[in-house]
Amino acid sequence: MNDEGQTMTPTGATPGGDGVPQPGDEMSGGRTSAERAADRGGSAAAPLLEVDNLVKHFDIRGGLLGVSKLGAVRAVDGVSFSVTEGETLGLVGESGCGKTTLGKVILRLLPPTAGKVNFEGKSLFDLSSRELKAARRDIQVVFQDPYASLNPRMSVGEIVGEGLYVHGMTNKKERESAVRDLLKRVGLNQAHIHRYPHEFSGGQRQRIGIARALALRPRFIVCDEPVSALDVSIQSQVLNLLSDLQDEFQLTYLFIAHNLAVVKHLSTRVGVMYLGKLVELSDADELYRSPAHPYTKALLSAIPVPDPTVRRERIVLKGDLPSPANPPSGCRFHTRCPMAQEICKVEEPPLRDVGGGHLSACHFAEEVTPLGSERTSAQSA
Amino acid sequence: MTARHVGPLLEIKGIKTHFFTQDGVVKAVDDVTFEIGHGQTLGVVGESGCGKSITSLSVMRLIERPGKIVAGEIRLNGENLLDKTDADMRDIRGDQVSMIFQEPMTSLNPVFTCGDQIAEAVQQHTAVSRREAMDRAVEMLRVVGIPDPKRRAAEHPHQLSGGMRQRVMIAMALSTDPDLLIADEPTTALDVTIQAQILEVMRDLREKNRMAIMLITHDLGVVAEMADEVVVMYAGKVVERADVRTVFGSPHHPYTQGLLLSIPRLDERRERLEVIKGTVPSPLNLPEGCLFKRRCPHRMRVCDTAPPYQEVGSGHFSRCWLTPAGEAPDVGADAEGEEAQHAAEQLTVGAR
Repeated sequence: MNDEGQTMTPTGATPGGDGVPQPGDEMSGGRTSAERAADRGGSAAAPLLEVDNLVKHFDIRGGLLGVSKLGAVRAVDGVSFSVTEGETLGLVGESGCGKTTLGKVILRLLPPTAGKVNFEGKSLFDLSSRELKAARRDIQVVFQDPYASLNPRMSVGEIVGEGLYVHGMTNKKERESAVRDLLKRVGLNQAHIHRYPHEFSGGQRQRIGIARALALRPRFIVCDEPVSALDVSIQSQVLNLLSDLQDEFQLTYLFIAHNLAVVKHLSTRVGVMYLGKLVELSDADELYRSPAHPYTKALLSAIPVPDPTVRRERIVLKGDLPSPANPPSGCRFHTRCPMAQEICKVEEPPLRDVGGGHLSACHFAEEVTPLGSERTSAQSA
Repeated sequence: MTARHVGPLLEIKGIKTHFFTQDGVVKAVDDVTFEIGHGQTLGVVGESGCGKSITSLSVMRLIERPGKIVAGEIRLNGENLLDKTDADMRDIRGDQVSMIFQEPMTSLNPVFTCGDQIAEAVQQHTAVSRREAMDRAVEMLRVVGIPDPKRRAAEHPHQLSGGMRQRVMIAMALSTDPDLLIADEPTTALDVTIQAQILEVMRDLREKNRMAIMLITHDLGVVAEMADEVVVMYAGKVVERADVRTVFGSPHHPYTQGLLLSIPRLDERRERLEVIKGTVPSPLNLPEGCLFKRRCPHRMRVCDTAPPYQEVGSGHFSRCWLTPAGEAPDVGADAEGEEAQHAAEQLTVGAR
């Protein structure tokens, strides 16, 4: 396992190059951190990942033989964004907004209905199975449920080492030492390499999942609700680990979660999804300071503040999330929006720049006011 | 305070609920004491396995084998629930105390309509006709903010969304106008915007009915918004108890302090989160003395002796050796044995 300050083979160093790591550099990311930094430096740096008008519909089938198409659940319906190398893009939204489906399509765990995803300028959907296998080294995932995402019949060593084996590290000794090193880096006891998942707590299991994701030295990790199944005191441990590893390995994260506070903590930029659409995308601090979409504002106002002396403006949205199989016309949020006008029912607002790269899909984005809050006197009770 | 009974609505005194498993005795709730006044909301906070749910099930007398309430008193309106017969308890449950659970789908019967289920609860406790009970059910659905309640009353649970189901649960729990509502993680399974709706319903009804709430949750934000008083539990024990502003403003116990520092906040930017190191100890293998000592940044030798339950401020209790100012105890940081035990007894609040 390489140490920090590693010198690496310059394979795939050129953006747009084939990016397929050569045999023998299993453990290298392919580029030095200096090169990455240089790429990041200029604002003109090509994004690492580009998602272009991605669509994922799940057909609803029925009828006599169960083959006629009755409709479609429009889980992801035309989403575009890009992720720059080294940043963390947070993706928030409530259940059913399509954030997990989006992550799965990017990982090619689900086939897309339409649209494109480019990784380093190369379309992920046009890869041959060989190229796909190579691409999977660069793109890894950490799942939500650490109880369901680890095979109970495999030892930790087998779980973490499986990817290494698949990608050509067939020497058992070599693999074991690589796994031990990974366990150490995620804060697990190396002696536990032969233990099984049931012997670990939730937080430790999530560390195993993270070690597995790191094994192939990926450049991009999709974190799908990595801490939502964990207790509060364990959540912070895992969040700190993720940010340490990002610094150490120059990782780029797509961080999917429903908890806005967690997302804000880790993300450089944040995208908000509603019913399969990206409704707002902006710099993280900016989004929380001055949301430009009424849904984002309502979402922010709904989060309880862990401080009894703060009273914040609260917008309670009416009703439930409409069904993604039959989304409302025009702006999808208009049925629950406190600012809705006639135009919102008929015309779908485009995602547009409302200033300084802050994107919002609302006809009245300029009229969304920041969330009010006040501190009540400390001793009024 | 009110007509029925002078003193707190619910008094829990030193209850111990233990589970006699094959691997040993799990002290899920170990000597827990607190009260809830009429119309008060008490937040019970803690992580998985700290005993907060078992405490609430103990109040409802819903502990099943191998669990058993082995000691203590649970007084509701002055009467000890542990002396009641099963038949008496059935009358009390739903009438004086109601409970709502985290997962509304598993607590509703899938083969009956929502209206039927609420009406059944109403008929169980009041002598009314089926039709009157149904009317009451529809009325309750309206109260908890379900649009078109008449139609919804005729629907089955699977036809409703998660937020709606939780409203049905609340409607059922409140249909008999209980004095105390025990809400065990009522919004954990829900999205934030739906959570905000449910909390609003609970706040509303609390004021209208002057109902007390025992709110069990791991979400400190929910507690800060809802509770008047807070009990923090760790490994089966109450480690801190105070009014909500004190707990959030000047927590005494290192565990409470750690919890508050470790949550990411929307209103401030932290580069790194503070961390409580390690994990909750196994209930079968609890440490000697202070249960939190292995994770505590202030660990002293005296922590090997069970810490006192001190009153560190007016109405503010903490199970820790540190003085109210956060310094080593008078007996010395290295005290041990009988000397330390004696000091702990001296410092522990006389109320018990």
